[in-house]
Amino acid sequence: MDELIKKLQTDFDGLEISTLAKTRITISTKKESILLLLSYLKRMGYDHLAIISCNDWIKDNELELVYIVSHYLEKDYGPDSEIDKFNIIIKTRIPREKARFVTVLDVFENAEPYERELHEMFGIYFEGHPRLTLLMLERNYKIPPFRKDFNTKKYVDDLYGNIPTIEERKKGKK
Amino acid sequence: MRELELYFGPQHLGMVGNFSITLKVEGDKIIKADANPGYLHRGFEKLMEERTWMQNFPLVCRINVVEPDHMELIYSMGVEKLADIEVPERGKFLRSIYCEMARVNSHLFGLWAYSNMLGFDTVAHWAMYHRDLLLDRFEELTGGRVYHIYLRPGGVRRDFPEGFTTKLVETLHKIGGKVPDYNQTFFENSLFRKRAEGIGIVNLDEAKRMGAVGHILKANGVKYDIRKIEPYDAYDQVEFDIPTQTGADAYSRLLTIRDDMIESVHMIFKLIDKIPPEGDVYTKTPNPFKWTIPAGESYVRCESSRGELGLYIVSDGGEKPYRVHFNTPSYNHGLTVLEKALEGENIADVGNIMISLYVVAPEIDR
Repeated sequence: MDELIKKLQTDFDGLEISTLAKTRITISTKKESILLLLSYLKRMGYDHLAIISCNDWIKDNELELVYIVSHYLEKDYGPDSEIDKFNIIIKTRIPREKARFVTVLDVFENAEPYERELHEMFGIYFEGHPRLTLLMLERNYKIPPFRKDFNTKKYVDDLYGNIPTIEERKKGKK
Repeated sequence: MRELELYFGPQHLGMVGNFSITLKVEGDKIIKADANPGYLHRGFEKLMEERTWMQNFPLVCRINVVEPDHMELIYSMGVEKLADIEVPERGKFLRSIYCEMARVNSHLFGLWAYSNMLGFDTVAHWAMYHRDLLLDRFEELTGGRVYHIYLRPGGVRRDFPEGFTTKLVETLHKIGGKVPDYNQTFFENSLFRKRAEGIGIVNLDEAKRMGAVGHILKANGVKYDIRKIEPYDAYDQVEFDIPTQTGADAYSRLLTIRDDMIESVHMIFKLIDKIPPEGDVYTKTPNPFKWTIPAGESYVRCESSRGELGLYIVSDGGEKPYRVHFNTPSYNHGLTVLEKALEGENIADVGNIMISLYVVAPEIDR
């Protein structure tokens, strides 16, 4: 693990690396170096993009993008080979207003649905993504639904609150 | 020839749930496929941010209808990692047995779906019957047939009832004894082989680029299995093999699923022999209504019956999770791999390929 961290720190500037668990490394970095870092890790053998996630840190007024990469193992790995079992968690922060980021489709092809989902759920526009259409939702919302300031209770009340209950309807008929 | 747009699903016999595909066809050849999820989007990840750590269990298991148990497991693992809880030795074995039962259960359901879709009704009935036998065991153990909520952070909810393992072994013998019949009527049946061989080929390079896991890699001869790579629970204390094939087509994928099921049955026998005779089955956790977990994040993964299942979970030090994000195997299989695999295939094989990729729609939507 130490070798990997040392190697990363010599090749890149401004990385904040910390170990989360025995086989997990977290890297916080500037948003400009994400593409470079991902392709660098891919060349090193971290060729499996497991997930692209996002945290809404509303207090800091920032969105945090989270990329998790790991190894596709090809040989029969026993429990001894430690280095290849790593999951690397790469994080970067972007402003919440008019959130924009670059797509990583050129590096990882399976990023497509993840970025589409983040686009509709967190309102992040990914530059260069060829198909940024709606994935799960039916329509666009003013506040993207997975952001922390989206009030689910208010949304339900606005949408369904005006429908009278059965009791109210019965009363109204009489 | 004229290009046509064809809607496949969600109300289609060959469709595996609330999911649809928009096909662009020329004659009966598919030029382009657009996966169209979202029919079952319930916003679970958002809902979970509004509930306490323990209250989330009834939500978590409903993410994957066919196989709720691994969802409970991954969420428990995530909470354990954040709160730094250890599972007692006996609890680990009970968990592993429970998860392997779930794997057999899920594979039997998958076998039902595949055989039913291709019109092998006899095999479908058998698979459903055998799944039901196993559901009886689940009911005896947990009180629920489909959703069990048996796991909890720190272990399992309660110990096995008396005589449970004997009954479980009997049930598994019954299921295992039927495998030759399954082989004769289904897996080695030339009617089935003609439908499945050489169909929906996803080769290794493509599979890796599309982020495939689980049986799609195993059908390419890659032994990618989290139970081996990063052993959790009791998997490092038992010997087992990861079945692989080399055909990369729908038929090979189904064979790996069958072999995986047989391997699971054997593994349960081995695990039952090794259970520590005495000990706690769970570690005590604080009052669930006042339980706060220190701020932090973790990424945990386990091997569900469909492949690598991951969970990214963040706590801000409160009584509720700050962010939960599931990385489900069907997400990549149903969206990227499926679109690629369908290109150039026949309309008649759409359902065939889709079920061979083992996609479960609720898992995509979450």
